[in-house]
Amino acid sequence: MLIENVIGAFGEVVQIKILLLMALGVLSGLIAGAIPGFTITMAVVLTLPFTFGLSTVEGLSTMIGVFVGGLSGGLMSGILTGIPGTPSSVATTFDGFPMARKGRPGLALGIGVWSSFLGGILSAILLMTLAPQLARIGLEFGPWDYFSLVLFALTITASLAGENLVKGLIAGALGLLVASIGEDDINGVARFNFGTDTLKQGFAFLPVLVGLFAFSQLMNDVQDNTTARKPLMEKGAKAVRVEHLAALRAIAGNWINLIRSSLIGVFTGILPAAGGSISNILAYDQAKKASKRPQDFGTGCAEGIVASEAANNATAGGALITMMALGIPGDIVTAVMLGALLIHDVVPSPSFIGDQPVLAYSIFLAFFLANFLMLGTQAIALRAFLMVTRIPMYMLAGVILAYCAIGVFALHNVTFDIWTLFWFGMLGYVMRQLGFPLAPMILGVVLGGIAEVNLSRALAISDDLGLFITRPWSLFFLIIAIFSMVFPWYQKHRGRKIWTLGFLPALCLSLAPPLFMMGGIPRPIVAGMLLAIGAWLLVSRHRQGWKLELPEEHEVHLEET
Amino acid sequence: MNTINRDTVVAVFLLLMCGVFYGASFQIEQTSYGTIGADVWPRLILGVLFVLSAVYLFQSVRKGPGKTVTHEAGFLSRYRNAILCYGLFLAFLLTLEFLGMLLGGIAFVFLALSVLGERTPWQLAVHAMVAVVSVGAMWAIFTFALRVILPEGEILSIW
Repeated sequence: MLIENVIGAFGEVVQIKILLLMALGVLSGLIAGAIPGFTITMAVVLTLPFTFGLSTVEGLSTMIGVFVGGLSGGLMSGILTGIPGTPSSVATTFDGFPMARKGRPGLALGIGVWSSFLGGILSAILLMTLAPQLARIGLEFGPWDYFSLVLFALTITASLAGENLVKGLIAGALGLLVASIGEDDINGVARFNFGTDTLKQGFAFLPVLVGLFAFSQLMNDVQDNTTARKPLMEKGAKAVRVEHLAALRAIAGNWINLIRSSLIGVFTGILPAAGGSISNILAYDQAKKASKRPQDFGTGCAEGIVASEAANNATAGGALITMMALGIPGDIVTAVMLGALLIHDVVPSPSFIGDQPVLAYSIFLAFFLANFLMLGTQAIALRAFLMVTRIPMYMLAGVILAYCAIGVFALHNVTFDIWTLFWFGMLGYVMRQLGFPLAPMILGVVLGGIAEVNLSRALAISDDLGLFITRPWSLFFLIIAIFSMVFPWYQKHRGRKIWTLGFLPALCLSLAPPLFMMGGIPRPIVAGMLLAIGAWLLVSRHRQGWKLELPEEHEVHLEET
Repeated sequence: MNTINRDTVVAVFLLLMCGVFYGASFQIEQTSYGTIGADVWPRLILGVLFVLSAVYLFQSVRKGPGKTVTHEAGFLSRYRNAILCYGLFLAFLLTLEFLGMLLGGIAFVFLALSVLGERTPWQLAVHAMVAVVSVGAMWAIFTFALRVILPEGEILSIW
């Protein structure tokens, strides 16, 4: 079945036109990812209008190319200038830049590129094998479970968005409110149109997204006159020759680190809303803990680069797993991808892979191939990146703003979409200035419809609200939603307050009952293991006298990738 | 002297917005079909948003005026570029019907670059060139390659 689907997808994807589009996408992603201030989300959002005229497979393959390229692009500026191109490459800079300063920039780049490639390939394999399995689990979900899953996705985004959980939650609720404006999907009744006809259809997803992310980001980038007029990078990066063989030798000696980091990346990606900005730090941290020479970290050691780059590229595969199998975006970039799929009349859900296997596997295969294209186009991207860095930010901003207007107009050929871009551009800018994270709002806009439809379905089947806590999956998601809301306080007070010692045991013990309720054999076994881990943690902490230890880890925050 | 926290102002604004939207939710048409009315879900969101805004207000009041961010003195200079860009974009939108996407886009990019960058004769020439080439290229791609009919404007339609 898997082989048949892959062969079917092969015929769809492996065409000159699609490969060229993907190569172009990867190249654009690499350059965009390398420019500090340009996020992968922005690159993917700006690519979207170009895909309107393309077929579904062509459009999505191009966007996947941009996604993969963007994840790998950040390492170039991070290694050569010490400024990470995207938050996904922050940890790469810790060792990549010192290695470059020690006179081995080619080796650092090589390790980064090959680790990205291998991490990406590993996650592509997991994507192809795990997504159908997860979709099978997803088929067990009823509307109650879906509604709780959306709640969990929103709360975890808000909780990872920074210090202020309330601001994150408000942003998420605002996103849900924006999604509710216009005709509702269930009754076909106009809402909050305030007597105008233009608002009856509501806001199109793309102009809202481009406005919130791209427009506001550009305004942020040109806020300061001096910075806006300088070339993108003052620390001029020099062209270097990538040392492929030496890099491969270094990675071969780090294969356990590579696999562990890739798995961390995939797992982080599977979690709704957690993206590459988190996985690279987590993997770096784990690599340091597991290393025989942790003191070398930060001085230019290969292990650090391998961990960060393998993890951030692997995150993409993980995020696609959740999106393809459950229809829930794994991170902000996949939220955009989900919007793109909807524009192309493709609605991912647990039954999607089974119903449209060729299309689903085409997306998987495109992700797999994009990693090869990334490897092949890295040298060209490096030269292009060096040229682009000489351009001042204000020039790019002015041109991109005009492009945004043309791009969003192309969606429905209506000027109202450009007005939407304008209003949401202002809203996004104001929110940024006030310290509100935009990621929860975007997820709110994307998931609002899904949440409402499932709530309606749930209440149509039964008006018993108790089902939200008596159905195992729903209970499971609600429990982790609650823990994700407490997570910012846990992170803040960890090692300082006694109650933080009980956070992990409580999480393990709380998740066991819903897993037991699911029945079967594997899930009760997992539940038993969770109970055992929770009990062991409690006992060991009790034996140590509930002693507090300050963690050395880097704090994990969700940033716009 | 600032006696009020910036967050307090935002929280009060959010609470007022909840009130406005809650009032507007009574204008939503009630249908005899459907399991839940079209007004239920928005009211649920507004309820959550109201509670969160109230918590936000409480937090900001507790924080007190001492934490106020004071940018008032340099407000215009701090947000000058953003205000000018939004103003230019608004002008671009208002004149779109007359100038069309091509001419309006070129004018917008040229003015935006000239406002944000330096205004020496050489730089103005560079800005003009960048505006014509970039918008012209995008216009050509969308019009001829992607077959999107962009607003022509009254000036170009005469020709």
